Amino acid sequence: MNKLLAIVKREYTQRVRARMFIVTTVLLPFAMAMFGIAPALVLSIESGTPMRVVVLDGTGKIFGRLRGYLQAEPEPATQDEGNPTARNNPIEKARQESFVLEQASTVGSSATQVQADLERRLGAKEIDAYLLLPPDVLQSGRAQFFRRNTSDLISTRRIQEALDSAIREQRLIDAHVDQQTMTNLARSVDFETTRISGAGTERDSGGGFILVFAGGFLMYISVLLYGQVVLGAVIEEKETRIAEVLFSSVRPFTLMMGKLLGVSLVALTQLAIWGLAFGAFALYGVNVLASKGIPTHMPAVPLMFFVYFVLFFLLGYFVYSTLYALIGSVVTTAQEGGQLAFPIIILLVISFYLFLPVSRNPDSTLSFWLSMIPFFAPVSMLVRIVTQTPPFWQIALSLVIGFSTAALLTWVASRIYRVGMLMYGKRPSIPELFRWVRQS
Amino acid sequence: MTNNEITVKVDHVTKTFGEFTAVKDLSLEVRPGRIFGLLGPNGAGKSTTIRMIVNITAPDTGSISLFGRKISSQLQDRIGYLPEERGLYKSMKVSEQLRFFAQLKNVSGKDADQRIDRWLAQLKISEWKLKKTRELSKGMQQKVQFISAVLHDPDLLILDEPFSGLDPVNVDLLTDVVLELKRTGKTIIFSTHQMNIAEKICDDICLLNRSQKVLEGSIREVKKRFGRNSVALRIEGGNGSLTTSDLISKIEHHSDEMEVLLAPDADPQVFLKQLINSGAAVTKFEMVEPSLHDIFIEKVSEAR
Repeated sequence: MNKLLAIVKREYTQRVRARMFIVTTVLLPFAMAMFGIAPALVLSIESGTPMRVVVLDGTGKIFGRLRGYLQAEPEPATQDEGNPTARNNPIEKARQESFVLEQASTVGSSATQVQADLERRLGAKEIDAYLLLPPDVLQSGRAQFFRRNTSDLISTRRIQEALDSAIREQRLIDAHVDQQTMTNLARSVDFETTRISGAGTERDSGGGFILVFAGGFLMYISVLLYGQVVLGAVIEEKETRIAEVLFSSVRPFTLMMGKLLGVSLVALTQLAIWGLAFGAFALYGVNVLASKGIPTHMPAVPLMFFVYFVLFFLLGYFVYSTLYALIGSVVTTAQEGGQLAFPIIILLVISFYLFLPVSRNPDSTLSFWLSMIPFFAPVSMLVRIVTQTPPFWQIALSLVIGFSTAALLTWVASRIYRVGMLMYGKRPSIPELFRWVRQS
Repeated sequence: MTNNEITVKVDHVTKTFGEFTAVKDLSLEVRPGRIFGLLGPNGAGKSTTIRMIVNITAPDTGSISLFGRKISSQLQDRIGYLPEERGLYKSMKVSEQLRFFAQLKNVSGKDADQRIDRWLAQLKISEWKLKKTRELSKGMQQKVQFISAVLHDPDLLILDEPFSGLDPVNVDLLTDVVLELKRTGKTIIFSTHQMNIAEKICDDICLLNRSQKVLEGSIREVKKRFGRNSVALRIEGGNGSLTTSDLISKIEHHSDEMEVLLAPDADPQVFLKQLINSGAAVTKFEMVEPSLHDIFIEKVSEAR
């Protein structure tokens, strides 16, 4: 036991103290934040050169509305659309400042003349696009859009959407629908799902599913990040030839277990730091929203779900890490191990996608068996728990099978490791591996 | 001699790796308080034998007992092992590293710290205590690893080529340490193919070649067995007697002396008288013992 602790401690302190650990701990949340901020930044860069669009409005009624949708300046839209705070939102601002609309004058010239003139201005790069709205556009619903750069699908689509809305509104006004009715008609559906469990009806706004997704995602991230670390830890002593000294002091299983636990504690430390940071941000965010009068509510999730969440996350993490340990015991260099580790990632992705069939039919035989297979159990069982909680014995059985498998894999890895260490250089064949596990 | 008085007993042990037989029907006994030389050319099976003794790998057939008991992981704590393949954690400090290895042998942290200081001082590397291993020279790393093998005060110390790559000063330093350990009653297995060192410090030897034992016994016995009745000789004049004497079977001329191999049952004293009677001035007359080196070469080339 002392020996196991010594190994766990060494693995842990060596890694947590490493510069790499500190850098990734700080950098990853930062990178994630960047993913959130980057789109807004990119949009604001774009807004530096707004798209100049000339509209030839044959009806004389559409242009004002269209400009309301696409352009905030120079004069405010005819009516205030949606949320008043949206105007202050930088993303919303960027959206609106990326167009400059101009109404083509039709006084004293025919439509064809105006179009020829617009064509010339387009060619001279005075404008970026022009939009033709024939006088019967409200009836025919047909408009024409000409532009130099047709590959900019985003702004084309935005103009199309704005035109759609503008024309729809105009039609409603023509049909003598008043503003209030219009707003009422446009209100979106408030879709609320309710979960029926044996205990009765309870409200569930998908909080359980968020938990499952979070669990699956967390498992995926930590296996990706730390699988390689486990692999490296197992290979370390092979490459440095320390294995021989270690095996003259400890049992291979103790060594392998110590490594797994040590690296896992590192992973959990990092996740805990991230979790706390995220929690603090979320709390701050909720407060900010609340102070602006925007109601937020945390999804209601039973406490027991959190317990299962932690258990099955750990299960998934250990089952997949031991696979990495197994590969580490077979190969001689980390590079070689990286190639062999690819199937593990595939297995992990498959287990993630099993979310779909299991959530559709959580009580089926397929779902049952999937949630008993250690590699698929973490996601499958969590899905079953949040959709239609299976009997307790199934959950317990799944956990027992899973953790036993992890222990068994660790044992197998340690046997292979001990024998493999004595034969440097060549990678063993599968039958050889079986012989190694039996002997030694 | 009962089993209890034997530190290591290897009994008819065979170990194969696939097609290759690394050790074949090997039996040997290491007596307590002695330095046992496990000798042989590269690939003779020395390292495999040692790995079986320290319980890293198990024999296919035969048995090994330590201190009169069957080898087990508990007994591992009483063994100190310096493998031929050297390895230390590159980014750990010397003191951390040594404490870790001591803990793996069930030495408490506090005890370990005291012993580490003592050993570092004894091997004259105290000032490197807080340095990382990668900053150390190869020789210093080797000393650190030597310390890791003796830190838990093992009853049996196994050293596989402990001096390879060390300069003569450090070889002497470590030799003294090994002899000191022997004086305190430790049993030492010393594996090497450097015969001059083995000759200096081993009490008993076992020579392995091609997976098999070809020779064993105390150095004294072995040398006696190989006594070739030869004389290192330097004389002036009286050469005639050398060519006529029927006591001589062969003469080898070296730079300023010659080695005379006498006939199997010839008495060297009679030969000396003959020389003097023939009028030769004898400036050197010395009975030559075969060196371990010669014995090694002879036994190994015999097998080829």
